Amino acid sequence: MESAGVSSLEYHVLLAMVEGPLYGYAIKSAVETESAGALTPRAGSLYRVLARLITTGLVVEAEAPDPGSPHPGRTRKYYGLTEPGREILASEARRLRYVSELAEGRLGIARGRR
Amino acid sequence: MKGLLALLVRLFPVEFRVQFAPDMLEQMRLDHGRALQRGRLTAVGFTVSTALDLLGAAIAERRDPSWKSPRHRLTGNEDRATMLSSWINDLRHAAFALRRAPGFTAVTIVTLGLAIGANVSIFSVVDAVLLNPLPYADADRLVHIAASAPGSDFPEEFGVAAEFYVHYTERSQLLESVSTYNSFTNTLRLDDRIERVRMSWPTWTFFHTLQATPLLGRLPAAEDEDSGVVISHALWNTWFGSDPDVIGSTVYVSGGDRTVIGVMGPDFWFPSEDTLLGLSNVVDIEDLTPRRFGQPLVARLAPGVDRATLAAELNGLALELPERFGGSANYAELIGQHRAVIRPLSEQLLGVAAGPLWILLGAVAIVLLIACANVANLFTVRAEHRQRDLAVRRALGAGRGALVRSQLAEAVIIAGFAAALAVVLAWLGVPAFISAAPAGVPRIGQAGLTASTLLFTVAAAAFAALVCGVVPALRASSPRLTRLQESGRGSTRERHWGRDALVVGQTALALVLLIESGLLIRSFLELQRVDPGYDLTNIYTFQIAPDDDHLRDAASFARFHTDFADRIAAMPGVESVGLIENVPLNEGLSIAGFFTEATPADSSGTHMSYTWSAGDYFATMGIEVLQGRPFTDSDQVSTLGNIVISETAAKTLWPGENPIGRRLRQGDLETWETVVGVVEDVMQDSFRDQPLALVYFPFVGQSPDSRAISSPAYVVKTSRTDTIGPEIRAAVREASPTAPMYRTYTMEGLAADSMVIVSFTMLTLGIAASLALTLGAIGLFGVLSYVVAERTREIGVRMALGAEAAKVRRMVVKQGARLIAVGVVVGVVVATATSRVLASLLFGVQSTDLATFVGMSAALVMTGLLASYLPARRASRVDPIESLRND
Repeated sequence: MESAGVSSLEYHVLLAMVEGPLYGYAIKSAVETESAGALTPRAGSLYRVLARLITTGLVVEAEAPDPGSPHPGRTRKYYGLTEPGREILASEARRLRYVSELAEGRLGIARGRR
Repeated sequence: MKGLLALLVRLFPVEFRVQFAPDMLEQMRLDHGRALQRGRLTAVGFTVSTALDLLGAAIAERRDPSWKSPRHRLTGNEDRATMLSSWINDLRHAAFALRRAPGFTAVTIVTLGLAIGANVSIFSVVDAVLLNPLPYADADRLVHIAASAPGSDFPEEFGVAAEFYVHYTERSQLLESVSTYNSFTNTLRLDDRIERVRMSWPTWTFFHTLQATPLLGRLPAAEDEDSGVVISHALWNTWFGSDPDVIGSTVYVSGGDRTVIGVMGPDFWFPSEDTLLGLSNVVDIEDLTPRRFGQPLVARLAPGVDRATLAAELNGLALELPERFGGSANYAELIGQHRAVIRPLSEQLLGVAAGPLWILLGAVAIVLLIACANVANLFTVRAEHRQRDLAVRRALGAGRGALVRSQLAEAVIIAGFAAALAVVLAWLGVPAFISAAPAGVPRIGQAGLTASTLLFTVAAAAFAALVCGVVPALRASSPRLTRLQESGRGSTRERHWGRDALVVGQTALALVLLIESGLLIRSFLELQRVDPGYDLTNIYTFQIAPDDDHLRDAASFARFHTDFADRIAAMPGVESVGLIENVPLNEGLSIAGFFTEATPADSSGTHMSYTWSAGDYFATMGIEVLQGRPFTDSDQVSTLGNIVISETAAKTLWPGENPIGRRLRQGDLETWETVVGVVEDVMQDSFRDQPLALVYFPFVGQSPDSRAISSPAYVVKTSRTDTIGPEIRAAVREASPTAPMYRTYTMEGLAADSMVIVSFTMLTLGIAASLALTLGAIGLFGVLSYVVAERTREIGVRMALGAEAAKVRRMVVKQGARLIAVGVVVGVVVATATSRVLASLLFGVQSTDLATFVGMSAALVMTGLLASYLPARRASRVDPIESLRND
């Protein structure tokens, strides 16, 4: 189930950036971890999602959090949430909570019990 | 691996790469490293899945950019569509759209399904008969060797003789193995089953030349000479009940008991599929009679040798023959003229049906092209109806690629269903085709839905999908935005050129098929009109092969057969009975050199055909006696040496003179024969024959060892040709219980068989041509109907302004007529260039026959005008008020 507009990959990409801008590979690792391994985005799909989120204004290219840190090679590009991005993420989170409660209720799974 | 991925990244649009490529490459490098730690297999899996992902994403990105096109972004739905596998999505949409247009869907699937089905059916036959290699190791090195002798009076091509086999075997450097063979029909007896079957008599080396291996037992060796037989898989099944202990059992074959030494596999047949067993021959060089031509050779080339090189070697070797084997000056002269005729064995064995089969495949391919043109037209019309819808999508930012793909998706679905229908049709149709096909097409029984046939189906369907989908899709994907304002009603001439071209193409192709089947129909009619020199109606023919102990020489066989002929003549409803060694249209004739008293002794004589005849043969067959008299019974029982010759023989030997009473000698006999009668020429092999110089001998010759006619054919004049068979069979059983009765035909049946390749090709090509004509007419009808519908408003205005209905009709018909005219011109040009492929089937008509070209063009024009008239009539009934109000 997806809400109008946000796929589950998009949701996790947005989620990964909540605590601050991240660079590409860090986003990918966060998505993998936070989706409990359900999503292992390949480069092609991931960067198209990122491109679209930027194009639609939910994500922007951001300053690196610690410009002074020594990098061996090139400078990485960091991406962070915009205000609309935050809002979309929050509303999607609410929607997900609502639908998961709905499902648990119907299936008879009480919270905190198994 | 990583190089491949880096390459795939380059597929993304440059703006996308500028922003993301370094990060993408880093991610792939790190992940690949991690995957590698878990094993090589994991790494390969990672590379493959990443490559597929890159490919899909790059295509999606090019088609529908997610980067830097903010103003053209559509809302969520459109976005998500591109995240799904876009093709599947398009197919799903197309399936949905097609479900809402059941008429369109059904017509297009059935049209393409029929056409692809016809192609698959014919291809499965072509594949089984012609394309599959022979089932022998390195079959491409197997050749068939015959001879020609330009400038001599020998036939254009003939079998060589035993001395060639011996000499080539010993001296040729380029042949790995050589063998020679004969094939004939003779008696096979096992317990109380007696039949005449086809058998071959190859040299024992033959199986080694082919490198064929037996299923059971062993192959012949030199010491098996004539005592062992190798039986075919079919004979093993039918006569021996697939008995695994068959090896060593005894069968009566061709006049003696022989031992079964081997059983061949189901793939083996030689030289024809109905050849049931092979005897073994040893050519003894000490006891060899040279100059007996008529033996073809089968040989295996050494690796890397081509046929031209071999021909040069064999021609050179042949020149050594007269010196080694002696012979007359004539023989030396013939050898001087001799040229080896070498062709691949597969061509020799399978080639009979090649011409007609390729012609049929070409015809059904044309039908497929026409069907594709029709369906493409329907798609174009459908797309134009959706112009407005497409223009909206375009305006909302859908890329051209996306529009093409969504159009193509429908064609893919249609073609997929058509392919499924085609497979079903072929599954039903191929057995029907096989049973209707002429007898003697080798391997045709193996035709069916094989892997290669299914692959062909997929290819044909893919071709159809491309042709039917791409043209309309490309056209439809560039709708001008102005079309929105026109509310989809525009009508400009240039938009029609594609559809017009399709109609012209259809018309032209249909005309090609019409002309070619017209040529075959004319040939068939010409063949029907040929007077072969004998009657066809009310003649029943059969052979029996008695070999009772008391039958051992010419006189005893002659007595047996004339007595039995008298017995049949006494049956109710029988007018007369005759005997002949070789019935026309069923068996060929032998050829020998003949001498008159005036022929120089050192020449090879005049080459003429000969046969043996008795009873009322000429009267029964309706062969007119032109001079002298036919045979009487007294000619058969004595050694008078009376003969009858054909008109052409008389003219050849004694031009302008009376041949009656003249004397004639067959080359290798010492005795002279006297001509007592001259009869009408007959066509022996087919109705295409040239007049034939033919000598009829009586059954008993002048010397005691002259040939005994053991199994002649009977010809019976009776109105009961369809009921008399069983009565004769009963009579045979009484007269000679061990004699098989076989080759039972009517002359009408033999005549039909002799034309079967023409009539069968004519029939199938005719079906293809009518299909093409119908499809072409439907195509024209469809296009004009659409044009009329599109111009309803314009026509309404014209009529409101006073145009008469007739004028409106003329206007529409004229538009159709223009397309037909161009199609006819193109079709005539193509037919002129291609009808030559029919040359071997045509008879009595040139491949550029004017009457056929004109007649068929007229038929096409009439059909086309009719197809134009129907929409024209509709146009002339347009109600001006209605057409304007509808706007």
